[in-house]
Amino acid sequence: MEQPDAWHQTDRLDAEQGKGDPFAAAVRATRMAMIITNPRLHDNPIVFANDAFLRMSGYDRSEVLGRNCRFLQGEHTDRGSVALIREAVEARTDIAIDVLNYQKDGTPFWNALYLSPVVNEAGEVLFFFASQLDVTDRIDAHLRVQQEKDHFEAEVARRTRDLTEALATQTMLVHEVDHRVKNNLQMIAALLSMQTRAITDPAARTAMEAMLTRVEALGTVHRRLYQSNNVERFDVAEFARDLATDLVRGSGTDRIRLHLDLEAVEIPVSKAPPVALMMNELITNALKHAFPDDRAGRLSVTVAPDDTYFTIRIADDGVGMPVQVMEHRSFGKRLIGTLCRQLSASIAWQANDPGTVVNVRLPREMAGSLEAS
Amino acid sequence: MSEPLRILVVEDEALILMQIEMMLEEAGHRVVGTAVTAREAIALIPETRPELVLIDLRLGDGSSGIDVAHAVRDLGGITAAFMTANARAIPEDMEGATAVIAKPFSDTVLGASLAYLKDCVRRPPPGAEVPSGMRVAPNWLASFAEMRA
Repeated sequence: MEQPDAWHQTDRLDAEQGKGDPFAAAVRATRMAMIITNPRLHDNPIVFANDAFLRMSGYDRSEVLGRNCRFLQGEHTDRGSVALIREAVEARTDIAIDVLNYQKDGTPFWNALYLSPVVNEAGEVLFFFASQLDVTDRIDAHLRVQQEKDHFEAEVARRTRDLTEALATQTMLVHEVDHRVKNNLQMIAALLSMQTRAITDPAARTAMEAMLTRVEALGTVHRRLYQSNNVERFDVAEFARDLATDLVRGSGTDRIRLHLDLEAVEIPVSKAPPVALMMNELITNALKHAFPDDRAGRLSVTVAPDDTYFTIRIADDGVGMPVQVMEHRSFGKRLIGTLCRQLSASIAWQANDPGTVVNVRLPREMAGSLEAS
Repeated sequence: MSEPLRILVVEDEALILMQIEMMLEEAGHRVVGTAVTAREAIALIPETRPELVLIDLRLGDGSSGIDVAHAVRDLGGITAAFMTANARAIPEDMEGATAVIAKPFSDTVLGASLAYLKDCVRRPPPGAEVPSGMRVAPNWLASFAEMRA
């Protein structure tokens, strides 16, 4: 039942806003739920509620008039939102906020609340005016979109994880292949080494030993590949360190000091074997010719990036290469020439005074390859 | 060369094993036994009474050379050295072994390494510098330094 003074309250409203104001009639009749509260009374009670508000909340007018609005709140109403509304009331400012409210029968609904103070000419707050709109459908749609988005993101995360695992498996398989290739090369090296022991002819022995270092250089390539995290790129500098150290150690003298000046240069894996073989030829050449009769000396190996190219520099301070040797078309020299052609590399042999210096300049990517930058 | 060293070689790759055997014999040493798994090696030690055990890291049947090094350490009185292409996988203290020789090694490197190890076995401390391609365990280096002092 409606309290008798309910109309009186609205009459007063009419009185203050001006008699016969068509706006008051509109507020009563609109489909937008509206209430007015009086902050000058204890606990800021509702002093007016239109029919739309009663329909939306499911209460009778007598049940809402004289009460603070907090009866609309319930179990899942966000405390933070309630605090914001309270702060706005205390600060006498307006606020627009979506808040979860409950109908009389307990049905929750999303309420798009707009609350604003009504101030008289003296600047006093006479009333708070609140309009409410049931936006449950909009919020539900929003939550549904959010759920779909969450689901989609979870799916993307799952596929990314699958792909990451697939990539890890692939990397492991490639590493396994490199490991096996390295082991096979090591077996070939062992066979060559054992066979060489049985050879008495010095020329044949020298040739076999040269073959042995070539096989070992390729073995070092595959060892580096299976120890690397990147199965597509090959670091020339790290390889040069391993190769030069192994070769100087294997040269059988402690009188040659190795100097390394290495900057990381990554090249496609497919280029690694020819680069490795060429470096092997250049370093073994220097070790073989520059320091005869147990001569002491220094071998320096440089790897440096140079724009889209990189350079490999092998320098010794040995006896220097006689012109005859430089012009001699040995198998080793032919091999170097062939590898340079494959790699589109340019090579220069110069006197180092003392010694010899070899400069090789190579493009980092394959000529005409997709990777070329 | 004086009395040859009695050496047990533990290596799972038959061809590499054969190569090392040939290199050792040419250098004047005596290979008293060869093993391809850790279990086989550990069983062979009392029987063959080696002075030096050369151990590959990865052995047959998925066994590890580290287990052989532990067995050698527990027996006492025998010198052990790893031979591996993956020297970084050997713990810093080398699990009781004296040294690691990096693979692949040439005749020269193996010769110098064996001369050093022979000194370790027969008349420590070794006189020569540690050959390149070989790393000696810190506790052994320290005890050699103490002997020299």
